[in-house]
Amino acid sequence: MDRFGKKESEGKVSVDVRLCHFCGACVAVCLQDAMFLRNSGLTIHANRCTACERCLRVCPLRALTIVHHSAEAAV
Amino acid sequence: MRSDYDVVVVGAGPSGSVAARRAAEGGLKVLLIEKRQEIGVPVRCAEAIGADLSRPFLDYDPNWVDATIRAFEVHNSSGQAVRLPPVEPTLVVNRKVFDYQLALKAARVGAEVRTSTAAVGLVIENNSVKGVMIESLGRSETISARLVVAADGTESQVARWAGLKTVPSFSDYYVGIEFLLAGMQSKMDPQICEYHLDRSLAPGGYLWVFPKGEDTANVGLVITADKGNNASALSYLEIFVARRYPNTSVMAVIAGGIAVTCALKTLATDGLVVVGDAAHQADPLTAGGICLGMIAADLAMSVAVPALHAGDVRASRLRGYETLWQKRFGKMHQALYQVRKILNNMDQDRLDGLVRRASELPLVEMSVGQIVLTLLKNDPLLLFEVRSLIATGLILK
Repeated sequence: MDRFGKKESEGKVSVDVRLCHFCGACVAVCLQDAMFLRNSGLTIHANRCTACERCLRVCPLRALTIVHHSAEAAV
Repeated sequence: MRSDYDVVVVGAGPSGSVAARRAAEGGLKVLLIEKRQEIGVPVRCAEAIGADLSRPFLDYDPNWVDATIRAFEVHNSSGQAVRLPPVEPTLVVNRKVFDYQLALKAARVGAEVRTSTAAVGLVIENNSVKGVMIESLGRSETISARLVVAADGTESQVARWAGLKTVPSFSDYYVGIEFLLAGMQSKMDPQICEYHLDRSLAPGGYLWVFPKGEDTANVGLVITADKGNNASALSYLEIFVARRYPNTSVMAVIAGGIAVTCALKTLATDGLVVVGDAAHQADPLTAGGICLGMIAADLAMSVAVPALHAGDVRASRLRGYETLWQKRFGKMHQALYQVRKILNNMDQDRLDGLVRRASELPLVEMSVGQIVLTLLKNDPLLLFEVRSLIATGLILK
C-alpha cells in the first residue's frame, strides 16, 4: 500500500475519450480526490486511484473502465 | 494581469456569476474564473427555472427564454397523467445565453472574468484560505484572495480542498443524461413540462420532457446512483426515446451528476464560502438548482461583503450565511428530501395508483391540502410514511 492506500496490483481507472462527455459526475464521488476535470479533459491521478469503481457506477455513459495489470507490469 | 484580489470566485455558472457581481457591486476587487473555454457550455441541465425567483438576478429577455410553461404533468407507467398548475410561472431557458448574460453582468460592474482558467489548488495558511492556484491558458499562477468563493458545481473540489466533506452517498446522488430532441411537434404540448415516474426506466429517479420551442425539447432522466446498477443512464434514455419519440433527431447529448443530499452542513471556512451545486443546494427532490444557487450566492455575499469590509473573513463570521440559508430553505429541503425517499420506497404499482387517483380528482377546484388528504384516505400506508412531513407543516398546513 502507498500513502493513498492503493494496492499496487489492483489496476487503475481509465477513461474512454470516445464516450466521455466531460460532465464531472465521476469527480464528485471520488473518495481519493484522484480525478480532475479541465476544459475538455479528464485527468485521473493513477497514484491516488484505488480502483474502488465508484466512478464507474455513476458515469452516465459508462465511459470509465478499470485497466488491470499484473504486479510486474505495474513496476 | 494582477495577482491579488479581494474575492476570487471559482466557476462562472449562475451561482458564481451572481456572487462575483454582488462582490463587485460591494466595491471589492473580484476575479471570476471558469475552466471551460466558453461560459454556459457545455450545458448540464434540464433548464427549467421559476420566473419569479430568477427575476432579481436577470431581467426577462426573450433571448434566454425558450419556452413559457403553463402546466406540469406527472405521468405514471400506464399512460395516466395528473396535470398540475405551476406553483409559480416557469420558464425553460437557454443556459448558454442565460449563463453568459449573468457573467457579463458581473463583468460590467467591474469583476474581471477569465475563461479557460482552472483552479488546481488552494493557498492555505494557518488553516485559512488565502488564495487559489490556477492554470490559465497554459500558464500556472498563484492568485491571492481575501475570500475564495467555491462555485465550481457538481464536480466541486475547491470546498473539498478547504477541508469540507463534500462527497455524497450514492443514495443521494443523481446520475443524469438528456437529449435535446428535434422533431417533437405533435409529440408534446410546447407549454407543458412532463415528468414520468417509471421505475424500470429511471430507477430511484424520474424522466422529463421539457419543451424548448414548438418542435424541440429536453428529454432526459436521472437515476439514483445506488439503483441503476444494471445499465448506463444512457441506455435507459435510449429505450425511452425509441419507444416514445421515434423519428426524432438528437441535437445535443447532455450528461451530469448532482447531489441531492440537502445543503452541506458547513458552508464556510476561514476565507472561503461555498455556493450552488458545489454546496449541494439543489432541490433534493427534483435536483433543480439554478435559482437556489443564485439565491445562495446572494445570501453568501450579503454576509461576506460586509465581513470583507470589516476585515474579518473568519468562519465564525461567514457562517452567518449558513443561518440565512437554513432559515429560508432548511426545513423545506428536509421535507423534499423525505418525499424523495418515500417515492423511492414505493413500487411501481403504488406509484401508478397514486397518479391514477390524483388524475381522477377535480384538481383545479381543490387546495393542496384537500388533494393530499384525499390521496391519503385512499392509501393509509402513505399516511404513515408522510407523518413526519405533516409534523414539519410542509403539507396539510
